[in-house]
Amino acid sequence: MTGTAVITLTRYLLPILAAWVVARCLRSMLSEKYEPEVWGHLIFPDASAAPLPHWECVIGRAKTSDIVVNAPDVSRIHAVLIRNDKGIWRIFDINSRGGVYVGKEKVPRRGLEVKNGDKIRLASTTLGFADVTAGELRSVDKSRTAAGTSINPGATLLVLSLFQALIMLQYCFTAKDEYLIVTCLSFFALLAIEWLCYLLIRSIRRNGFEVETIAFFLTTLGLSIVASSTPEALVKTLLLLIMGVALFFAMGWWLRDLRRAKALRWPAVIAAMGFLFVNLILSEYVFGAKNWLYIGGFSLQPSELVKVLYIYAGAASLERLFARRNLLFFIAFSAICVMALALMGDYGTAVIFFVTFLIISFMRSGSIATVFLAISGAAMAGFLVFTMKPYIAQRFATWGHVWADPYGAGFQQTRALSAAASGGLFGHGAGEGWLKNIVAANTDMVFAVICEELGLIVAIIAALSIIALALFVFRSASHGRSTYYVIAAGASVALLMIQMALNIFGSLDILPFTGVTFPFVSKGGTSLLSCWMLLAFIKAADTRKDASFVVKRAEIKQRKRGAKA
Amino acid sequence: MKKVKNRGAFVLLIALFCALGLALYCARYVLHGREWASFSGGGTTMGLLYDRNDILLADAGAKTYSDDYTTRVANFHVTGDYIGNVGTGALTRLTGELAGFDLINGTYHPQVHKAHLTVDANLNNEAYAALAGRKGSVQIVNYKTGELLCMVSSPSMDPNTPDNIPDGAYLNRAISAAYVPGSVFKLVTLAAALETIDDIYDRTFYCGGSVMVGADQLNCTGVHGNQTIEQALANSCNCAFSELAQTLGSDVLLAYAKKLGITESHAIDGIYTTAGSIDPYEKGNINLSWSAIGQSTDLVCPNTMLRLVSAIGNGGTLVEPTMVGHGRSQKTTKLLDADTAEKMASMMNYNVQYAYGAGSFPGLNVCAKTGTAEVGDGTDHAWFVGFLDDEAHPYAFVVQVERGGGGLSVAGAIANRVLQKAVAN
Repeated sequence: MTGTAVITLTRYLLPILAAWVVARCLRSMLSEKYEPEVWGHLIFPDASAAPLPHWECVIGRAKTSDIVVNAPDVSRIHAVLIRNDKGIWRIFDINSRGGVYVGKEKVPRRGLEVKNGDKIRLASTTLGFADVTAGELRSVDKSRTAAGTSINPGATLLVLSLFQALIMLQYCFTAKDEYLIVTCLSFFALLAIEWLCYLLIRSIRRNGFEVETIAFFLTTLGLSIVASSTPEALVKTLLLLIMGVALFFAMGWWLRDLRRAKALRWPAVIAAMGFLFVNLILSEYVFGAKNWLYIGGFSLQPSELVKVLYIYAGAASLERLFARRNLLFFIAFSAICVMALALMGDYGTAVIFFVTFLIISFMRSGSIATVFLAISGAAMAGFLVFTMKPYIAQRFATWGHVWADPYGAGFQQTRALSAAASGGLFGHGAGEGWLKNIVAANTDMVFAVICEELGLIVAIIAALSIIALALFVFRSASHGRSTYYVIAAGASVALLMIQMALNIFGSLDILPFTGVTFPFVSKGGTSLLSCWMLLAFIKAADTRKDASFVVKRAEIKQRKRGAKA
Repeated sequence: MKKVKNRGAFVLLIALFCALGLALYCARYVLHGREWASFSGGGTTMGLLYDRNDILLADAGAKTYSDDYTTRVANFHVTGDYIGNVGTGALTRLTGELAGFDLINGTYHPQVHKAHLTVDANLNNEAYAALAGRKGSVQIVNYKTGELLCMVSSPSMDPNTPDNIPDGAYLNRAISAAYVPGSVFKLVTLAAALETIDDIYDRTFYCGGSVMVGADQLNCTGVHGNQTIEQALANSCNCAFSELAQTLGSDVLLAYAKKLGITESHAIDGIYTTAGSIDPYEKGNINLSWSAIGQSTDLVCPNTMLRLVSAIGNGGTLVEPTMVGHGRSQKTTKLLDADTAEKMASMMNYNVQYAYGAGSFPGLNVCAKTGTAEVGDGTDHAWFVGFLDDEAHPYAFVVQVERGGGGLSVAGAIANRVLQKAVAN
């Protein structure tokens, strides 16, 4: 009886808390002041100075250049000025007509170092280069608004903790006796992990925690689904979470140093191919797809790790964007990945890779034509797959007609729709659903399980929280230090969204059923790890003052340089 | 950087696609959530099904029926069964009500959900007893609220002993069958005549026991002499209605049959009734006359007859019948002008007072029309349709007995028995 009263009450509170958490994250990610960094100046002949807001700046006549030079003999995209994290600037000539000179020296293909006070000549226009001084850097840094000043991330995390506590409270009444203790302990462990992360971030004087908070919010829903469907797997899920968070920090730390990160791009390509190759050779077919690898009792989905490697290798810094050869290599790499996945029968992941490919190649080349070409190529490949793989065609035939065959081809979707609708806006309470008993409910149909147990509002908020990440990445893009980070973050968030869309809409019969995972929510080992690693890419694009642990603080670096000089 | 940033808008495109998908799902949830949630193949817990007076008809969660044999049998067709043999039963067709779905809470209920039908189980028991094993149906509706108080079909069966199934027991004859209507169809012809023939009250209809239509002879049930329209209805005079039919023609007759809903299928809370049918004939063809009298190839579902007499009782406006919950049905349909309805009501009252005998219905102010429909093999379907002109008991009724014999003697007697019980409640 108390149980009924608790659930009747708390089921209305859960959506409020969830909305509060995500709204707070969204507000601080989108509304907090985001002043550009300044890394130097270019002095025009009329003595006006243009600040260099990124580590990678395009100089040219085009309006989309970072530094616009209005002279008829300057090319639209004339040169690229790049700073590395040691504070050393280089300039590259991007096939300009008039040429680029530093002092009297013509800039060669591999670029030329530029020092403070150097004269840069673009065709007939001469610009002075002024590197940022330690004092300037400090004063710019001072004038910038630190992340977390208007919306305290600790308070947001507190609201999330309350959300988690309420779900745990519901389980106190709905969990089976033998799993009651492990369920409660799991939620305590989740609380401990997220607060430890927060303290860690704070201890290195960073204050941006929205991205992590959203990930932990989604993880909470995932943990609830595991507690509901397979409570015996709770401990394993927590261990994976700890691994995921550890990989997130490791990856973030690795990405801090752009040169180091870029140096491993080719090994990443080789590792990706290796994984796919090993996968193709060694793994067995499970549910029509050959994407599982069993090593000493552990099951592994190599394709999940390849996602991370793919973005890692696919992103590029500005000077490489303008070389067609680099893009061709990337297209070849992508084609191999997608074909390998198709051979494995993992079509859902193949689609995800393909969309990620579109994002990366579009962000690299800016060419709509490339995108159309790729899409038409994929359409033809898709047609071939249809004709060769009858069960894929079957899924498309069922699409939109699941109620015509609720006991056959539409079995999963009709159950998902029925359970999702029966949850209404507020759900039946954590652990109180029936959909969890259907095969693959805790991976392929998680959206419906959330709808049924926690309600449509919480489920929609979960989906919106990933969209919130996308809005944030788009906002951060104009302030990124390197295009490498911006492209990687864009590709990561696009990948997360596409995966989410295929999962949600596949189970709800809005798209064909593909059976991919909902990021952070679906039960599944390797996919959880890859999601946390992708999150590190997103953190790398967050250059708000003192926000991201992946971004080195300007001040510290500069002080060292000052000491040397 | 700026270039790459602008290209990043591609990400927003995907975000938009996701948001649109979610919006589409929400819209579909609003439109189809009820039917999805109440999908019987899923796991949604169904509640308890009661009649209007809290008599338990079925526990859909436990998949059991009433403990009382008579209640089980008499209410079998409105309740339905868990297998879906009765395609129009509440257990099959009103799962949304049984699950207690609403858009805010889905199917969540702190306590076991209770759903109510508008029928009175005891009244159904009485009606089933009155049918006494004969094939047929009894229906009573409150014409002011649309609540179906009684709906019984015979033969029926006990769902707890599914081995013993009488022939046709799964069929709800009240809503899922259509029969030769006989003289009750004269109400349709009359409505058309009242609204389209200006001097109808000034006309005199002569009956000499038969009349020639073209080369064919149409026989009447008696020799009625000169009659007003009122007397012609009371006598149920075939000669008079043949004359009306030839005056009106098929177009008008069919238009009225359609307007009054006879040839349409209607939804009672989403449960569809069988549509009747009438064939068109040229003027001068005797079949045009027979079809206006309710013979020829006419077929009428008893429930559409109930809608017609219900509308007449309610001044021309039908309160659409409902069988779910308590209270007034939300939908009304105007079938007749108030003036026409009043004229028909008074003629139907005249029928009882001067032709059928008010003594057959002690204490009831009945307005009715009988039907003794020739099936063609020498037997007749007995019909008795009408309503009580009574503020306190605004009940419309249709009793139909297959090959039962005389409309008044057979169906009229059943109607009286069930109405007495209904009024006594």
